[in-house]
Formats: sequence, C-alpha cells, structure tokens
Amino acid sequence: MALIIACPQCGPRPYTEFWCSGELPEGGHGGDPGDLEADYARVWLRRNVAGEQRERWFHHAGCRRWCSLTRNTITNAIHDID
Amino acid sequence: MTSIDFEGREIPIEPGDTIAAAVYRSGVRIFSRSFKYHRARGVYCGTGDCPNCSMTVDGDPAVRTCVTPAVAGQKVERSTGWPSAGFDVFGTLWWLRAFLPVGFYYKSLHQPAGLWSVAEGYIRKLAGLGDVPIGHPPGNPERRYHHPDVCVIGGGIAGLAAALAAAAGGAQVVVCDEGGVGAKLPPGPLASRVAALRDLVRVSPRVLLIEHATAVGIYEGPLVPIAGPDALHLVLPKKVIVATGASERHGVFKGNDLPGVWLARGAALAVGRDRLTLGRSAVVAIDTEAGLESLEASRGADVPVAAVLVPAALAPRVPGGAPVIVGGRLVEALGRRRVRGAVIDGPAGHQRIACDTIVLALGFVPRDNLVRQANAGPVEVSVAGDVAKPGESFAAAEASGRSAGEGNPPAMEPAPLPAAPRNGFVCLCEDVTAADLDLAWHEGYQGTELLKRYSTVTMGPCQGAMCHGHLRSFVAERSPVPMLSGATTSRPPARPVRLEDVAAGARYPLEWHTALHDRHLEMGAVMEWAGIWKRAERYGDVLEEYRAVRERVSIMDVSTLGKYQIAGRDATAFLERLYPCRVADLKPWRSRYALLLNEAGYVFDDGLVGSLGGEGYYCTFTSSGADAMESWLRDWAESWGHSVRIVNQTSTLSAINVAGPRARDLLAKLTRDPVNARSIPYSGMSRITVADVPCLALRVGFVGELSFELHHPRLESVRLWDALLTAGAELGIKPHGLEALRLLRLEKGHIIVGQDTDFDSSPAKLGLEWAVKMDKPDFVGRPGLLRLASIPPNRVLRAFTFPGKEAPLDGAQLLAGDERVGFLTSSRFSPALGHGVALGFVYRTPNGFPTNVLAVDGTGRLLMGSVAPTPFYDREGVRLRA
Repeated sequence: MALIIACPQCGPRPYTEFWCSGELPEGGHGGDPGDLEADYARVWLRRNVAGEQRERWFHHAGCRRWCSLTRNTITNAIHDID
Repeated sequence: MTSIDFEGREIPIEPGDTIAAAVYRSGVRIFSRSFKYHRARGVYCGTGDCPNCSMTVDGDPAVRTCVTPAVAGQKVERSTGWPSAGFDVFGTLWWLRAFLPVGFYYKSLHQPAGLWSVAEGYIRKLAGLGDVPIGHPPGNPERRYHHPDVCVIGGGIAGLAAALAAAAGGAQVVVCDEGGVGAKLPPGPLASRVAALRDLVRVSPRVLLIEHATAVGIYEGPLVPIAGPDALHLVLPKKVIVATGASERHGVFKGNDLPGVWLARGAALAVGRDRLTLGRSAVVAIDTEAGLESLEASRGADVPVAAVLVPAALAPRVPGGAPVIVGGRLVEALGRRRVRGAVIDGPAGHQRIACDTIVLALGFVPRDNLVRQANAGPVEVSVAGDVAKPGESFAAAEASGRSAGEGNPPAMEPAPLPAAPRNGFVCLCEDVTAADLDLAWHEGYQGTELLKRYSTVTMGPCQGAMCHGHLRSFVAERSPVPMLSGATTSRPPARPVRLEDVAAGARYPLEWHTALHDRHLEMGAVMEWAGIWKRAERYGDVLEEYRAVRERVSIMDVSTLGKYQIAGRDATAFLERLYPCRVADLKPWRSRYALLLNEAGYVFDDGLVGSLGGEGYYCTFTSSGADAMESWLRDWAESWGHSVRIVNQTSTLSAINVAGPRARDLLAKLTRDPVNARSIPYSGMSRITVADVPCLALRVGFVGELSFELHHPRLESVRLWDALLTAGAELGIKPHGLEALRLLRLEKGHIIVGQDTDFDSSPAKLGLEWAVKMDKPDFVGRPGLLRLASIPPNRVLRAFTFPGKEAPLDGAQLLAGDERVGFLTSSRFSPALGHGVALGFVYRTPNGFPTNVLAVDGTGRLLMGSVAPTPFYDREGVRLRA
C-alpha cells in the first residue's frame, strides 16, 4: 500500500514530506488537567496496536499544517483524514 | 590500445567487454578463491547471479566482474588467495575438510578459554571474500528521490514492455536494470527485440531508465532504493512491478565448482557476445525443455561436444551431430584446478569422459528475492516475465510484461524444485557442501531456516540465488512437513550493495546559512554546526572577543534563533496555556524568559516571550529547536481550538545582538530613536530604526552586559552589520562567536538547553522553579510536574567554582571521596573572576547533594571545587540593567 497521504490542504503527497507524531492518545491532546492518572496514561502509555490507529501527521514540506488520520499499521492503508 | 590493469599486467579490452570477458581472454581461468576452503573458482553463471567471478575493482571488493563493464585504466585484482588466487597455498584446506565440518569453531574452539580469541584472528584472515578497504576514499554518491506511478525492477523484455504499457496508460515510470539494458543477452532475436523496446523507452517522456543500477530491496511505502553508479535513487512509487527474470539453475555434483563448469547462459554469452573460446571438448547436461533452448543458444561455440546428457523425452529434439547419452546423469567433474573430465552415470553404468568444459542447462530459477521480500511485508507487487514463469518464450514474457504494465493482477507460478543434492557444493558463496548439510541435519538442524542459520547456506553475496532451491529439496526429501522445507525469509539487500551507497547523501547534509554567513567567512571565522545552521565559533582570539563584550562593545549574529509572531483573538490564552510562566500580565513592549515543557514536564527549549502591544506576541526559541517549534505550536493551537495566527519568521528575520557597556553609545550613533534606559529598559522592547534598517530591539541579558538584540529583515542584515562595525570602530568593536558566548553566559550561570539539560530535566532538577508558575490552572507539562512533585529529584544541576587558574574540561567527572557523584556539563576559566566556573549535575547521596567535589577530566588534573551561587558575575545585575 503506497504511503501516500491525502493532505487536506495539498492533496495526495508522499509520506516523506510529513513528520508523524505517533499514535494519537485516546481522547486526543489536552483533557482534564486535574486528572493525573488519565494524563499519565496519555503521556506515557502507548497501545502499539497491530491494526487501525489514529495518528497525527505534520506536513512539514508542504502546508505546515497538522492532519489526523487513521492508518492500518499492518497494511499502511490510510483513511479518515481531517 | 585500451587496456585495464589486472594485477600489474596490462590486459587489452574490446568494446563491450565485461571485466570478466577481458580477464578470461587473457588466459586467466581462476577468478577467485572460495570463502572457506580456498577452492579455485572461475566464471560460472555469467549473469551476475553467483559469487565466483568477484574481484576487487578500483578498491571496491566483491565486484561481480561478469556484469561490470571493463573501462580503460581500471585496476582489477583478485581479492582472495595467498600468495595469489592462481596459486593459493591454502587450497590445501580442502584436504583438511574432515577437520573443518560445518560449525567447527563452535565445536572445537570454545575451550580452553582464550583459544577462540587467538583462533578468530587466523580464521578471519583465512575465510571471507576479500578485505574491506578501510583506507580507500569513498565516493560521494548523492541521494535522489523519485515519485513515479510505477517502478519497474528489471530492464529485460518483460520489464521494458511493462514500462511502455504503463506509460501508454498515462503513468510516470522509473525502470532500472543492473547492467546496461540487453547486456546479458547473446546476439539473437531476443536481443534485437529488447534493443527495439529500449529505444522506445529512451524517447518516452514518461519513462526514466536507470541503467547499471541495482534495486537493493522493497521496503514499506513502498520504497525501492536503487543503487546507481553515481547516486542512490530512492523511488517511492504507487506500484512496483518486479521483472528480474530468472537465473540458470545451479548444478550440484562432486567437483561442480571447478573452473570450466559453466551454466549454459553464461557459456552462450561468453561465446556469442564476448567471442571467447571455452575449451577443446565439452560435456553438456540438459534437464528441461528450457535447457534445450539454452543449448541452442550456446551452440555457436566451436567446442566439440563430447557428450550430451538428456532425459529420454527430450532426446529426439537434440540437434544431430553430438553423441547423446539418454538418461545420463553427471556424477563428478574431475580435475583440481580446472575440469579435466567428467564421470557420468548412464545406461552403461559409470563412465569417464575426457573434457575440459561442462555446460549445465538444467532449467531456470526465478530471481524472486525481491518478490519474497515484498510478500513478507505489506507491499503488494506485480510480477512479469521469467520471474513469474521461468523459461517462457520471449513473446510470452513480453506479453506478461505488457499485461502487468496495464495493471492486470499478477500470476506467479511456484517454480519446481531441483533434485535433492547428493554431493558437491550447494552454496558457492559460503562453501557449504551437501555433506555439510547432511551433518547439520543429523545434528538436529532439520528445516530450511535452521540449516540456514547454522551452516550459513543461502546467506552469502548471492543471497541464495544459486542454492535456495537445492536447500529446499534437501529438506523436502528428508521431511514430510512442508513448512520445514519452505522458502526462507528474504531480506534486503537482494544484491550486494556498497556501504557508501547506504550512506548516500551523508556528505550533502542540509546546511542553513544566515544572511551574514559570507561576512563571517570574510572575517576569518571558524564555523561550527548548530543544528542545521552553520554559525561562527570564533573569529580569532576568543579572549579578545570576550573582552570586547565585557569592556567595550561587540556584536553577534543570532539570526539562527527561532523567531515567531503569534497573534489573533486567542493569542494570550494560547500562550498562557503553552508556557509555564505568566504571559497575560506582560506589560506592552516587555518580554520575559520562558521555559518550554513537554507533556512529561521536562524542559525541551527556552526563549523569550514578548508583548507587541496590541499586535500580539513575539517569541524566540533556541536555534536548534527553531524548525520543530512550528509543529509544536500548531499542534497545540489546533488541539485546543484556539484562534491564533502563527507566523514563523525564523528565516525572514535576522538578528544581531549588540552587547557591552558601550552598546547604547554605538546605537545612539546610528539611530534617532531614543535608546535610553527609560525608552528601552531591561527586558523592554521597542521598534527603532538603526542605520536606516527597521529593527525590533529587545533588551536581553544572556551575556550579562547591556545588550540589544536587533531583529530586522534578512535582506538588510549585511547593511546593518557593516554599519555597526564601521560606527563601532572608534569604540573598539569586535564581533564575538559562539565560544565567547558560551563563556559569557556561563559567568552568568545561564543554562544552554541541550548542553546543560538532559531529556528528563524537570525545572526542579535545573533549579529553575522560579520560571514555573504552578498556581496557573493549566499549562503544558503541569500535570507532569504535579506527578513529579512527589518524587524528589535524584540529581540536580548545580553551579561550581574551581579556585585556581584552571577549570576542568566540559564533561569532567565529579568525585566526593571515592564515589562518583556527578559530571560537569559546562566549565570554563572565568577571566573576570580569575577562577573556574562550571555547571554540572550531582547525584543524591545519603548525605544529600554533595557540595564539595573533585573534578577529574582525563588530563591528569584533579581540581577541587565547591557549590556556589549564581550568577558568578555581576550578582546584582547592575551591568545588565544599565
């Protein structure tokens, strides 16, 4: 599966133009700053799934905007980019 | 006459020659000595599939000379054998083979302890395929990226047809071939057809043909690295078509590795293309219908055929004139340094035939290394031609290439396995014989993957091209479990690749220059790397530069700082939540030192945040973090849904720091705007025009003197720099570089993030709690700090003084008593104070953090130091606030 990412701004571009910041923690960034347990999980724990996972990619060699997408870590199939 | 240098001998070359052809024509028959037993080896496959013709060419070891064009002036030598490959005294190892079974060093050299370390040296000298030329200057291959729709690997008839068909459908195509296209073909209709297709490819605007370039592997992406003659091509196609063809099947029998044994296509090329004479008498073994065609191709040779061995079914189709032995089987090739005869097991029993050439046409094996690699991962590839179905007619191969190019699904047929090997060399690269496999099997290594790991069969330079099928049939004969005789995992590199190709592009790193780069060079600056920037380390005497700052006035190019303008409705809320310090209470045109914490609560950058009145904020970050900071800022802005505009001005703005007690005097000469302490107080900001250049001036304190950072448009930078130097001449101005800066800031006790911090440095570890306002409701890293609050830091950054005229080196170890208690991160002799000053981490001991330490830095000195308060210099900050 070609690792081509359909950037919402720039259209389909090869993944080498992007930085990946890894899997998106459940519930995304931020969250309740008072809940230290949840924050701990968000910062330190990774699920490392074999399958579909939400990720954040930064188009550093293009529009320099972030997008969120779902990537299958086994096949690299990508969908639900926003 | 053109010639190459072969081991000191001039050897003439003819147009179109490979190195192997030229060397062979000169009378050389032994091309290499084998990996373990130093057996004599000569040209065998002729198509770059086996290791036998490997030589050292212009310092590159293990070059497959049969597919490498001869170029006048090349220096060629055989890599192995002593005193020479032709006469190698270690050839006697073969007679000692009973004492050198597979894995012998595991069995015999493990005790007494120490034996292995002695033996290893000898084994390493004796075994192997030549030396890595440590002192040989590497080439500088560059790295090129391609993003075609289709990447075709292999420029044979199927590959070219696939490329043309894909291009006809509108696709952009990259096609590569490891030799010149058609170079592996003897003259004939196939060669003509390939030449015709090649000409079409060359004029096609959609197809890029890369010749003399090997596809190293197929990685996720898909990514196909192709090592070319002067560049590593990183091809990122949407689709990969593998058309690597098939190699001729390796024959395994006693003496099968002697020079004079040829695979039929190699023989056909030697005769038809290179016009070489193989010998005076040949035995030809044919096993399959495809082999019959190979024989046809090699019949141009004027070698009298002593016997043709064929199965009964093919016998009627053998062309007349040659004595045919129906059902005959090769048992042994006789001879020591080359073939002297053959032993044949035929209808009449064992029979000796005198001959000097044995040609094997046993069928074809797909070169499927790359396909198996891709199949092991998530990459889907198409296949075309012989790799999909070996031994097809060339018209069929062309049709299958066209079909693959048009996007039709691939059809790959499993290749039949050869007969199980009984005797002789299964693996030519690693010298593994059938007897070795047999022994390993009886020792319990009963499966292809186990045999591979134990005996290294299939692990040599040819990556199993010769032996993989034989290994599988060896296991299949002994075990009914199909999994055990399955194909072994194929991994990159599929073909040998040079280390310099792997490192391609390393000598062309991205290098950013400030607008003043040329000025620094003109002034004799020594430049150093700072992230991807080149910065001036010093212009001459560092102490002179230091004195200019402390006593007079100096300028420094600080354009590499990360510079951002952040505005918009939520700018204040955004920065308040991003920084651990307070932002909302910043007075207009005031700035503040700010740390940046990651979500774990660790310091990863620092800089200033300043208020531009109603226009938003101006933020600076460290040089090394300047680029990545943009993604960090945008990530949070988007996550929080803040309406902010983030403008990265790092490369559009330059910055020059004007520092020293006379800094204000210098500026006053070049501006009509007020620069007095009331207009721009310490930590204040102001828009002023200096030498007609519009500047944002920031009063900063990093070097500990009165200083103004002038941020200005990049295009005006040289003008401003020159004006400052000219106007400052009578004040004794001198620019300072990074080394002076490191000393100046150390006297003030300021940290440099990255040098005085680690990946897990919380503000508490660095003694920077004052820069963190835990009473703010939320900021990035606050929950992390709350968690860390219950864990006292196990080490902290402390400032030290070292009395005396010397300072330890950066990185010196710190001792208290006999115990190692920490290390210095920065250390310099302070000219202003007359003693050493340093920052360093100390570990917690049962008596708390040590305060008196002994620094050891590898120079033999032992220096006593003790914890001291910072700043070391100008404690009250009088000079800074002047």
